[in-house]
Amino acid sequence: MIKISNLEKIYRTEEVETVALNKLNIEVKEGEFVAIMGPSGCGKSTLLNILGLLDDPDAGSYLFNGIEVAHFNERKRAELRKHNIGFVFQSFNLIDELTVYENVELPLIYTGVKAADRKSRVEYVLDKMQIMHRRKHYPQQLSGGQQQRVAVARAVVNQPKLILADEPTGNLDSSNGNEVMQLLTDLNEQGTTIIMVTHSEHDAKFSHRIIRMLDGQTVMENFLA
Amino acid sequence: MITNYLKIAWRNLIKNKTFSIINIFGLAIGLASFMLIALYVVDEKSYDKFHVNAENIYRINSNIKFGGNHMQMAVSSDAMGAALKADYPEVLEYVRFYNSSGSKLIKKDNEFINEAKVAHADSTIFDVFTFPAIEGEAKNALNEPNTVVITETAAKKYFGTTAALGKILEIKDRNNTVYTVTAVIEDMPRNSHFHFDFLFSMDNVDYGWGNFVSHNFHTYLLLNPGTDHRQFEKNFVQYIDKYVLPQAQQFMDVASMEEFESAGNKLEYSLMPITDIHLHSDLLVEMGVNGNIQYVYIFSAIAIFILLIGCVNFMNLSTARSANRAREVGIRKVLGTEKKSLIIQFLAESVFLVFISLTLAIVISYASIAYFNDIAGKDLVLIDLMNPGILLTLFILPFLVGGLAGTYPAFFLSSFQPISVLKGKINQGFKKSHLRSGLVVFQFATSIILIISTIVVFLQLDFIQNKKIGFNKDQVLIIQGTRVLETNADVFKDEVAKMNGVKSASFAGFLPVSNSSRTDNTFSTEPVMTDKNALSMQIWNIDYNYIPTLGMELLEGRNFSPDYGSDSSAVIINETTAKLIGEENLIGRKIYKNDGNPGAFTPVTIIGIVKNFNFESLRQNVGPLSFQLGYNKSAAAFKIDASDASDLISNIENKWKAMAPGMPFSYDFLDESFDQMYRAEQRIGKVAMSFAILAILIACLGLFGLATYMAEQRTKEIGVRKVLGATVPSIVSLLSLDFIKLVLIAAIIAFPLSWWAMNSWLEEFAYRINIGWWVFMIAGLSAILIALATVSYQAIKAAIANPVKSLRTE
Ligand SMILES: Nc1ncnc2c1ncn2[C@@H]1O[C@H](COP(=O)(O)OP(=O)(O)OP(=O)(O)O)[C@@H](O)[C@H]1O
Ligand SMILES: [Mg+2]
Repeated sequence: MIKISNLEKIYRTEEVETVALNKLNIEVKEGEFVAIMGPSGCGKSTLLNILGLLDDPDAGSYLFNGIEVAHFNERKRAELRKHNIGFVFQSFNLIDELTVYENVELPLIYTGVKAADRKSRVEYVLDKMQIMHRRKHYPQQLSGGQQQRVAVARAVVNQPKLILADEPTGNLDSSNGNEVMQLLTDLNEQGTTIIMVTHSEHDAKFSHRIIRMLDGQTVMENFLA
Repeated sequence: MITNYLKIAWRNLIKNKTFSIINIFGLAIGLASFMLIALYVVDEKSYDKFHVNAENIYRINSNIKFGGNHMQMAVSSDAMGAALKADYPEVLEYVRFYNSSGSKLIKKDNEFINEAKVAHADSTIFDVFTFPAIEGEAKNALNEPNTVVITETAAKKYFGTTAALGKILEIKDRNNTVYTVTAVIEDMPRNSHFHFDFLFSMDNVDYGWGNFVSHNFHTYLLLNPGTDHRQFEKNFVQYIDKYVLPQAQQFMDVASMEEFESAGNKLEYSLMPITDIHLHSDLLVEMGVNGNIQYVYIFSAIAIFILLIGCVNFMNLSTARSANRAREVGIRKVLGTEKKSLIIQFLAESVFLVFISLTLAIVISYASIAYFNDIAGKDLVLIDLMNPGILLTLFILPFLVGGLAGTYPAFFLSSFQPISVLKGKINQGFKKSHLRSGLVVFQFATSIILIISTIVVFLQLDFIQNKKIGFNKDQVLIIQGTRVLETNADVFKDEVAKMNGVKSASFAGFLPVSNSSRTDNTFSTEPVMTDKNALSMQIWNIDYNYIPTLGMELLEGRNFSPDYGSDSSAVIINETTAKLIGEENLIGRKIYKNDGNPGAFTPVTIIGIVKNFNFESLRQNVGPLSFQLGYNKSAAAFKIDASDASDLISNIENKWKAMAPGMPFSYDFLDESFDQMYRAEQRIGKVAMSFAILAILIACLGLFGLATYMAEQRTKEIGVRKVLGATVPSIVSLLSLDFIKLVLIAAIIAFPLSWWAMNSWLEEFAYRINIGWWVFMIAGLSAILIALATVSYQAIKAAIANPVKSLRTE
C-alpha cells in the first residue's frame, strides 16, 4: 500500500539545516499494523506528516497505492487525504468550539456526504467508541481518554484505508491508553492499515512490526508474532 | 518604578507593531475628529457673547400673517424702538440698523469700490453693543448727520492708516454724499452675527419716519438687567393697540385687532436674545447668513460617535491582545509578582498608548484644520483648543479610555490563578466575547448611518439643483450695479445685447435667488380694502424682456409689450396669487394696489399668469408674487449662448469701463447664485462624507486588528480542519462569516435609525426627495464589501498556511 524510497526532508532555518529524513526506505502492506519508534527528534513525526500527505518531501519517491504522490500539489494531496487517511494526534486536536458530535461529523462534511447519511454514520462510530452519551458535550468537558476516543472516532468515520497515529497514548494514563490501543487493534482486525508512532514499548507490542529510527534513517525492523 | 513600567510598555508596543499602529492610529483619528468638531461647536456657541451687555440685548422679531402672506422677519418698524423706550422703563436703550439699500459705492482715489458691509446706525449703537474705538470716541460719533464710523480694516484700506479721524469718504449715491470719519473701531469679531465695516449716521437715511406699519429696521433693545423678556413681550399687545392699529386703520377698514385676527391674520412681536440669533434665527431679512443649531447637534453627535468608534477599537484590541499575554501574567505570578503591580503595569501601558494617540491626534488636527475650515466654512485655529472644556476633556480622556481599556485585562488576568492561565484555559473566554461583538456592531452601525446620510444629502442637493424651478438659470449672466450708468444704462444694455453670443437682455433688479431685492406691497381684490380681501405680495419691477430672458412660462394671458399703451397699469401674477384670489378667468380682472398712502388704492389689470417659479430657497413654498412694468436698473441680465463666456465677459467689461470709468465691474452667473443658497447643505454633505470615510476607516482598522487576532487564535482549529480536508475557500468563508454577520446586524440597526434621521432633515424642505430602498442597499452592501475586504486578507493568509506548522505549536 505504501512504498517510500530514498525519501529526504531537510528543514532550513536561518542558521541551521536539519536533515529530518535521510534517504529513508519503508514499505507497508495493506492490513498491517506498524509501530515506529525512536528517540526524540529522529524524524518520526516528519515521516508521519509526509505519509499523511500533510507535507511534501524534498527528494525521493512515495508510492501510495501504486501512485507516485511525492510531488502532488496541495489540492490533489487534500483530495487523496480526505478520502483515504485518518489522523490521531497525541494532543487530540479536537475543535473546542464544536461538540463531540460536530467534531466527528466534520470529515464527512468535507468529503461531501449528505446530511441524512452523516447522522447515521456519526452515530454508528460514536456508539462503537462508547461515547454516544457524550455527543452533546464539548471537548473540555471530557477526560483525556474520552477525548482521544472522540479523536479516533473522527479518524475512522470516513472509513479510511489508512490511519496514522502520532503518539496516541502520549497524554493518557495506562488504562485509558490501553483502551485506545484496543480500539486501534480492533480497527486493524477489521482491515484498516495502521501506522503508529510511539515511545512506549508496551504500546508497540500491539503492532505486527516495529520500525526503529535514528537520525532520519531506519536502523532495524523487528517483526512481532 | 514608573520608568520601569514605561520601559516594558514601550517594549510591548514595539513587539506588537501591527496592533500598536492600529490602536494608536485609530484612536488618534477619532481624537483628531473630536478636537476639530469641538472647535467648531465651541465657536458656533460663542456668537455675540463678547458684548458686555450680551445678556440684556434683544432683537425685535415680527411675525405677520396678512393677505395670504406669512412673514417672520428680523426687522421691525422705524418708530417702534423709540415708542418702547418712552413707554417702558425696562427699555434702557434701543438701536436700529438700516441697510436695505444694500451696498454702497465708496470712492478711493479715482475709483469707486462696491462695499457690501455697510449700514446706517443710531448713535446709541455704542451704548448697546461693545465695539471698542481705537481712534476717536465712539460714544457720540454718529450723533451728527454726515458722520461715519469705520473699522480698522476699512481705515487701512481707504487711508492706509488707522489715523483716519476727520478724513472724508465720498459715496456715489443720489446726492453724492460726503461723510466725515468720526471714529475708528476694532474690526467686529468673527463670532458676531453681523459684520459692518462702515456705520453711517442714521440721519442720512431718506425715509418716511414715524411709520408703525412698515418693517424695515433691525431694532435691538437693551433691557434693564433682570428683566424677564418673555414677560416683557406681553406689553406688545398694548403697544400694537396704541401705535400700530390707528395707523393701519388709515389704510384699511378694520375695527380692532380681534377682528383682524379673526380673519386669519396675525401681528405679533417677540424678543430674541442676541446670543440666540446665530444658531436659532432663520427669518426673513436677516443681517447675514446664520448658523443652524441642528447642524451643531449633528456635528456634535458625529464627533462623539467617531471618538467612540476610536475608543471602541482601542478597547477591543487591547482586551483581545491581553489574552495572548495570559501566559506572561501566569509566569510573572508564579515568580511572585504582586497583583497590584500587574494591574498598574496594564493600566500604565494602556494610558501610555492613549497619550501617544493624543500627540498624534494633535499633529493630524494641525495638518487637516485648513481642509476642515474649508468644508465647514470656518476660520478656526488650533490655539482655540485652549478652551477649558476641551482641555479638560482632552486631559481626562486618556485616563478614561486607557483606564477602561486597561482595567478589564488588568483585573481579569491578574486575579486569575496562575496555573489555569498557564494551562491556557483563560483563552476560551476571550475568543468569543459578546461585548466585543456588540462593539463591532456599534462601529458599523454608526458607519452605515453616516454613509446613508451622505448619500441622502447629496441626492437632495442633486434634486434641488436639477428640479424644474420655473425659470431657466443656465447661461444667464448678471451684471451688477448697472444703476451707476445712470442715463447710459439703457445704451449699455442694448449694446451688450448686440454682442455675439448674447441672445436676450433685460434689466433685472429682482432675481429669483436670495440676496436680491425684494419689495412687498399690499393689494386688495376690491376698491376698499378690509382685513378679508387684502392681498399681501411681492411686487417686482420688470421690463419687457425679463420673462423670456429668465425662461419663465406664461400659463395664461400675455407678457408686457410695448404694443399696448396701457401696460403701465397692468400686472402679471403668479399661480399662487391666482389661487389666493380664487376666481376663474382672471385675465382682465382688476385688483387694487396701495401706493403707500392711506386710502390710496389704484386699480391695475391682470394681463397674465406666470407659472410658479421658486424665488426663495426650496425650503419654502412659492409665495404670492406679481410683476409690474417698470425699471429697476440695479442689475442687468443677459441670456447668453457661449461655450466659453470669458471672451464675452471681457468685451462687456471693456464696454463698461468706457461708459462708467472708475466704477466697479462685477458679474455673476445666475446658476451659481442659485447654488449659493444651498451652501449649508453642501457643507453638511461634505462633512458627513468626510466623517463617514473616517468612521469606516477607523472601524476597518479595528476589524483588521480583530481579524488578525481571531485568525491567530484559531490557527489550531484551521489546521485541524485542513487536515480533515477543508478547502481554502471554505476556511476563508468560515473566518469571514462571523464578521459579516456582525455587519449585517449593524445594518439592520442602522437602517431605521438613519431613515428616521434623514427623513426629519428632509422635512425642512418644501421640495424634497423620498429615500429609496436602494440607498439602504448600497450603504449596507458597501459596508459588507469593505468589511469583507478587510477581513479576507487575514482569512486567506490563515487558510493557505501549512497546517503542519500550526499543529506543531501545540
Ligand atoms: N518546521 C521545522 N523547522 C525546522 N526544523 C524542524 C521542523 N520540524 C521538525 N524539525 C526538526 O526536524 C527533526 C525531526 O523532527 P520530528 O518532529 O520529526 O521529530 P520526532 O521524531 O517526531 O520527535 P519527538 O519524538 O520528540 O516527537 C528535529 O530535529 C526537529 O527539530
Ligand atoms: Mg513527534
